[in-house]
Amino acid sequence: MDKYEKLEKVGEGTYGKVYKAKEKATGQVVALKKTRLEMDEEGVPPTALREVSLLQMLSQSLYVVRLLCVEHVDNKNGKPLLYLVFEYLDTDLKKFIDSHRKGPNPRPLPPQLIQSFLYQLCKGVAHCHSHGVLHRDLKPQNLLLDKDKGILKIADLGLGRAFTVPLKSYTHEIVTLWYRAPEVLLGSTHYSTAVDMWSVGCIFAEMVRRQALFPGDSEFQQLLHIFRLLGTPTEKHWPGVSSLRDWHVYPQWEPQNLAPAVPSLGPDGVDLLSKMLKYDPAERISAKAALDHPYFDSLDKSQF
Amino acid sequence: MELDLQNPLTTHQDLQYDGVPSLFANESDHMPSLLSFHASGFRCSIRRTALSLISQVKFAYNLDPFLVYLSFNYVDRFLSTQEILEKRPWIAHILVVASLSLAAKMRNSDLSISLSDLQREDGFEFDSQSVRRMERILLSTLRWRMRSITPFSFLQYFISLLEIEDHSLTQCLKHRASEIIFTVQQELKLLEYKPSTIAASALLCAIHDLTPPAFSSSHSAITSCEYVDKDTLSECFGVMQEMTREGYGLSLDESACATVTQISVLDTSVEGTSSSGPGFPESDNVKRRRLNGFYDNDRTFKISQIQQCN
Repeated sequence: MDKYEKLEKVGEGTYGKVYKAKEKATGQVVALKKTRLEMDEEGVPPTALREVSLLQMLSQSLYVVRLLCVEHVDNKNGKPLLYLVFEYLDTDLKKFIDSHRKGPNPRPLPPQLIQSFLYQLCKGVAHCHSHGVLHRDLKPQNLLLDKDKGILKIADLGLGRAFTVPLKSYTHEIVTLWYRAPEVLLGSTHYSTAVDMWSVGCIFAEMVRRQALFPGDSEFQQLLHIFRLLGTPTEKHWPGVSSLRDWHVYPQWEPQNLAPAVPSLGPDGVDLLSKMLKYDPAERISAKAALDHPYFDSLDKSQF
Repeated sequence: MELDLQNPLTTHQDLQYDGVPSLFANESDHMPSLLSFHASGFRCSIRRTALSLISQVKFAYNLDPFLVYLSFNYVDRFLSTQEILEKRPWIAHILVVASLSLAAKMRNSDLSISLSDLQREDGFEFDSQSVRRMERILLSTLRWRMRSITPFSFLQYFISLLEIEDHSLTQCLKHRASEIIFTVQQELKLLEYKPSTIAASALLCAIHDLTPPAFSSSHSAITSCEYVDKDTLSECFGVMQEMTREGYGLSLDESACATVTQISVLDTSVEGTSSSGPGFPESDNVKRRRLNGFYDNDRTFKISQIQQCN
């Protein structure tokens, strides 16, 4: 790691610490992400090799944070560890939303910006899904922004299948549940691309509201937050729901109108949001279909 | 899930996948370059040795042909970009071992036994640390782009353009075209063509062999595809036709470097500096960077370390 000068710790990724660092030779600022991928006597483990090469391929997209290279570093026990070196972006969507809610000048996010960020997010998610990769932990902290250019990129992606998303991160920070799809909360073992679209919906609503749509602090409470707004799911609206592993009997709530929860959003936006928050994963809109939704009609797509 | 060369960009077969544009957009990142082979006779000699070694293991252990293809793609891409300053005969051997090992990991197959047998048989045994280090060099050089886009990735797409209804015929064509692709991998002349061009040419050769009357309509279907350059395709098709006409039984030594005249292992010019003879003594004043701790017995392995993050 002599090639890099660590500048500061910028976060805890789902899989490990992330540092802002400078490559000494070029002065390029990068994000260094330490992984827990250890070499053994067989060298690079096959799963790590396949995951990292997949990540390398996915990061060719403009809407996914670019993997610049992979470094092997010997740890204290002399075992090489893998560090992933990513392009560095100065902020993320969580910080960006916070800066519009708190601080000296609280104000809504401009509607055109919400539209543009959501479009880029759907582009990135569609790209991952077209390569058969689920993100499974989409949240505002994982969406990095280039504020000046108005670009949004998906981060913390790819290693999700070799290393299942833990409930607690390795530093014992609680992994947020706010963006987790109901089928995951109910213990479904068969997830699909729809889990990411649920998260996209929650993020969309959060950009409009400047606060989380479903801020639960336990899995049970998370479900109650969802049910209170969208109604307690029934077999009629979501066939098979009552046979999911963690299904219990819940209080019966009627579905509420979504619009009051996202007051400044127009009817097209509310319609798209409702399609992202469908209970039945099979009915939830896909990222690719979302790109063609009328909500984006007023967006100048030629810039993407 | 293991890498499927016919479908390298996706990991879930059952997902709706429209990856054709990304295949064409990214294929150049996975190509060896012909130029580097013309520039140095030593590269070509390594290539020839590596090719014959890989074929040897392939036949001895009846290896998965896709695995073999993939490992040779790694060898070619490595030799295209990596500067080889130290002309030791064992470089080809360790390169082959590392390439096969990585390809096996990508394809999820176990090769450990055949790899150790191979090393014992050809008299070059490397300790596992050296092999792991070579794997790392290979990974860095290829920038971890190990999900190679190869001609196999495009076959299904080109076949779909032909609109053939007879399923057994499409299977035959695919099979025959794959055979051709496996065979022509060794041909240096074809390194300048993109994987998609190789795939389209191989398919045309297969059609030419199996259903000659369909050739002209198939040819126009393929050349009218937006991703295909008509002139390059006919050039590549010409080379391939010549090869297949000459027969498949090309011996490795003749074909591996068939287009390079006067290959010599003793070609000693290195970046304008000439070493003093076939022994390439350590005193070469060629600037080299030593890979710390990479030893194979008493031999020091010096491959110029690459800059990965430029």
